[in-house]
Amino acid sequence: MSGASGGAPDPAAPAALSAPERAVLESLRSARDLPVEEEELAGRLGLGLDVVRGSLQRLRSKHLAVVDEESTTTRELTARGKAALDRGLPERRFLEALRRHGGSLTPDEAIAEGIADEERSAAIGILRRRGLLEDGLPFRIRSDAPEPGRQLPEEVVLEQVDSGEEAIDEAIATVLERRGLVRTLHRSVKRWSPSEEGRQLPLAAPGVSELGALTPTLLAAGEWKSRPFRAYDVRAPVPFVTGVRPNPYVAWLEEFEELLIGLGFEQAEGPLLETEFWNNDVLFMPQDHPARTIHDAFSVEDVAGRAPAADLLARVAAVHEGRAMPGDPAPIGPGWPGRYDAGVAARPILRSQTTAVSARCLALRPTPPFRRFSLDRNFRPDSVDAIHHLEFTQCEGIIGEEGLSLRHLIGVFRELAEGIGIRELKIRPSYFPFTEPSVEGYVRHPKLGWTEIFPGGVLRPEVTRPLGVEVPVIAWGIGVMRLAMVALGINDIRELFADDLVALRGGGS
Amino acid sequence: MPQSVLSIERITALLPAPIPDRAWDDLLFASKAEVVARDGDALTLSVTPDRLDLLSEGGLALYLAGVLGVAHGIPRAVRPGPGSPGLVFEVDPSVAPVRPAIAGALVRAPEGASLDVGTIDEAVRFQELIHATVGRDRRAASLGLYPWERVTPPIRYAAEPIRAVRFVPLGGDEELSGDAFFAAHPYASRFGALGRVGEDRCLVLRDRAGAILSLPPILNGRSAGEARPGDRSILIESTGRDERTVHESLGLLLVVFAARGWTIEPVGVERVGSPRDPGEAAIADRAIDLPSRLVREISGTSLPAPEIEQRLSRTRLAPRPIEGGWRVGIPPWRPDLMAPVDVAEDVVLAAALRPEDGIIPSSRTRGRLLPEIRFRRSVALDLLGLGFAAPHTPVLVSEESVARWGGARPIRLRNPVSAEFAYLRDRLLLSHLPVLAHNTRHGYPQRFAEVGPVVARDPAAESGGATRYHAGLAVAAETAGFAEVAALVDYLLRRHDVGSVREPFELAGMIAGRSARCRVAGEPVAEMGEIHPAILSSLGVPVPVAWAEVDLSALWPFVRRRDAP
Repeated sequence: MSGASGGAPDPAAPAALSAPERAVLESLRSARDLPVEEEELAGRLGLGLDVVRGSLQRLRSKHLAVVDEESTTTRELTARGKAALDRGLPERRFLEALRRHGGSLTPDEAIAEGIADEERSAAIGILRRRGLLEDGLPFRIRSDAPEPGRQLPEEVVLEQVDSGEEAIDEAIATVLERRGLVRTLHRSVKRWSPSEEGRQLPLAAPGVSELGALTPTLLAAGEWKSRPFRAYDVRAPVPFVTGVRPNPYVAWLEEFEELLIGLGFEQAEGPLLETEFWNNDVLFMPQDHPARTIHDAFSVEDVAGRAPAADLLARVAAVHEGRAMPGDPAPIGPGWPGRYDAGVAARPILRSQTTAVSARCLALRPTPPFRRFSLDRNFRPDSVDAIHHLEFTQCEGIIGEEGLSLRHLIGVFRELAEGIGIRELKIRPSYFPFTEPSVEGYVRHPKLGWTEIFPGGVLRPEVTRPLGVEVPVIAWGIGVMRLAMVALGINDIRELFADDLVALRGGGS
Repeated sequence: MPQSVLSIERITALLPAPIPDRAWDDLLFASKAEVVARDGDALTLSVTPDRLDLLSEGGLALYLAGVLGVAHGIPRAVRPGPGSPGLVFEVDPSVAPVRPAIAGALVRAPEGASLDVGTIDEAVRFQELIHATVGRDRRAASLGLYPWERVTPPIRYAAEPIRAVRFVPLGGDEELSGDAFFAAHPYASRFGALGRVGEDRCLVLRDRAGAILSLPPILNGRSAGEARPGDRSILIESTGRDERTVHESLGLLLVVFAARGWTIEPVGVERVGSPRDPGEAAIADRAIDLPSRLVREISGTSLPAPEIEQRLSRTRLAPRPIEGGWRVGIPPWRPDLMAPVDVAEDVVLAAALRPEDGIIPSSRTRGRLLPEIRFRRSVALDLLGLGFAAPHTPVLVSEESVARWGGARPIRLRNPVSAEFAYLRDRLLLSHLPVLAHNTRHGYPQRFAEVGPVVARDPAAESGGATRYHAGLAVAAETAGFAEVAALVDYLLRRHDVGSVREPFELAGMIAGRSARCRVAGEPVAEMGEIHPAILSSLGVPVPVAWAEVDLSALWPFVRRRDAP
């Protein structure tokens, strides 16, 4: 943004008139011979030329004065030029010396004639270019040389410059300037008038000082009652101010949280650095599951984790090995091949699924009925590009109460879909190690078309019973980043991790 | 998701009528298989990891025949009993340390049929898929197929000296010594370690005539280990770490032959000091009792008993009514069915799931944010109100940021994908240094703040690292200085009625003598300072930057105490 005034306003200009500014403006307003030159104004006001010039510039930046600027170019003789005019140009003096010596002149004779070395060189060069001098020594006037008594062009221009004539041979004048005989003068003449605002600006009566900033002292003393305020230039540039707005992605996530809270879900959260036990084992994922290789979760250096409480570990180990849990008469199922390794359970990894948070919720044995959700970051080794990021946000929910079935899960899918403004839904079978049955909800998104969005299922007894949960629990998850990208009109997932401060201010920058 | 390319022609050859092109997607939508691509005869499918059987033409045809109502139950292919004479693996104790489990089956072509090129290709492709999935790249289990007519039973499974091995590897023409094979063969390079016992021995399957069937789990021998078109009896073996995985692998591969009416015979297993295992468990149907109550609980619907039986049959299982439910026969190619709940899922998913069948849970619960999350949100709002822009940055930070800051090393990933995401930040500053660098093209002043998680070493935490939430702010301006950020921290604490004491504290990355720490009741809750010009210079930031970070997790107990009734 720039100031509304024209010209080149001075951002540092005070918003009010100083005494010299006021005097200059008054002088301009009363002048009959507008526009007035700066020197003339200085003379009329008895002020220094610098003071007048500074005041005029400030009045201009406040749009109270306007200027007509005229640039002129003139030439004048230098000291050497004046000497040449008096004594004759070197080439003229050389010709005259030749004539005095009968048309021939040796270098020594030339020196004796008082023609200095530098002048002699210049004179010889010019006379030869003019065809007046023979080559070689001694110096001789050519027999076919024009009449030497005639005035040389350089002499004509020298006289014209001296007399202030404007119509001169520019090429010769330039040569004379190079020879240091003539110089060019550039001069700018500024003539000032008051602007329309300058004419109209109310000025306090002479001798009345105006109030600048309104201070507590002025207020307390009531001085404002007797003195006028100095007017501001309301179009002068003002400081650059920017606002801020909530981060759009964070705001979108919070809106999503509000949707779930409205559906009766209580928020939960868990650690980002988890143990394999909570990320995998307690979810009945076999310890040699392909997804548990080093390539599918981030592990960390120099950090030691530990297994959970011994009784919980014993129960989970039993279901993995297909044994009856301590105190139970029979196994829940055949478990997985191989021995359960408590050392693996203690290994720290970055959480790769929010289901770990659900498991921690269940371990607290909430009183049914309960609904919990977590909306948080997870990590998986992945290439980072427009649609993948190794840090991603998932939303996961669980509901636990007597009598829950797959039909309730589908009902929740419908509620969630409607919550994000989508009515078309279809369900197909899926698979997760920790749910049975497992399904996948597809919605017809207005921009994405049919999109897989709700994985979910009924938690297996191998998951709920070791945690001491006796009611059926349905669980679902949503990959929210994709929905957020569509909602925010973003094509690159990396833009969700925004750090461009201008964009975050919401524009206007 | 496991994926494979199947031949449509070979699938429909097992069905009474071809499937129209447009019908594939709809037919499979209700299954655990999904069409990835269709190009002429090539049908690319992906399946959920529990239904690998659908990635063989035979297995998919069995499933589709049930869905289309043209077949039901389990194909009657298993011929139980003692099996052919000499059809036995003699297992030497020397295999026990590396690969003790073995199981086998002999499959025989129906009358008038024999092995063809298509079935060989299907079996080999499916075998490799099983190796990669259930077999965990052959570590847990591997499979081999052999022409029974060219094998002289019984077959000995033992660890033999490598120098005693001479055979022509499958796919080769030249006989190799064991040493030469392990030294140079590509399969030995890839899987050799799995089949070696100590330095100088390797696993060998050898028949009575001395022919090497294979060096499990590496490669078959050519003479007794190459099944060819026209063969009518094929021996299938599986070796591995444990019996269950070996049985699962073998059972899956059997579907290729069962779908085409081949009969399946068990192969016995003899071990020193143990009674002979007839081998039937590896190939026989299992039984799982399915209580009708469980179907009702999971489906949320009271399905009539005939409907349940029909669904089970159509999913190619074999239900038999018993008291309170059914005893359901499970073929060996369905290892995913482990417990009654798995069988109940097959019943529920056998019919299309309709959104209109969804019902809302009857109970009502009160939704809410966790109080601590509400507190963090309020701090974020305070910072917004103070005019701070709000970036959202990753928890994973770069090596460059950590090195530039120069403080104690945060937790590093063991397997980072790139140097850009190599550490878990333990302070937001590590994410905010790049924010400063990314915004040097914009004008100043700049003020930004973020409330977000960090992960700090914490031996008391179960994982060894605690997730904490910080509020980090930075002011980059010609006039930025310690006093401003200290005042902001004072405000944030005061805003939540928490009094603090500020004390000098030297911090990495800050100008010496211009950093501090705030304590509340003796607990450190905030740090602040002026970022050192060496860091600013390396970031290209032309103005001073003052920074502060409040540990909201440390502050929360004091705020909560205040809010407690």
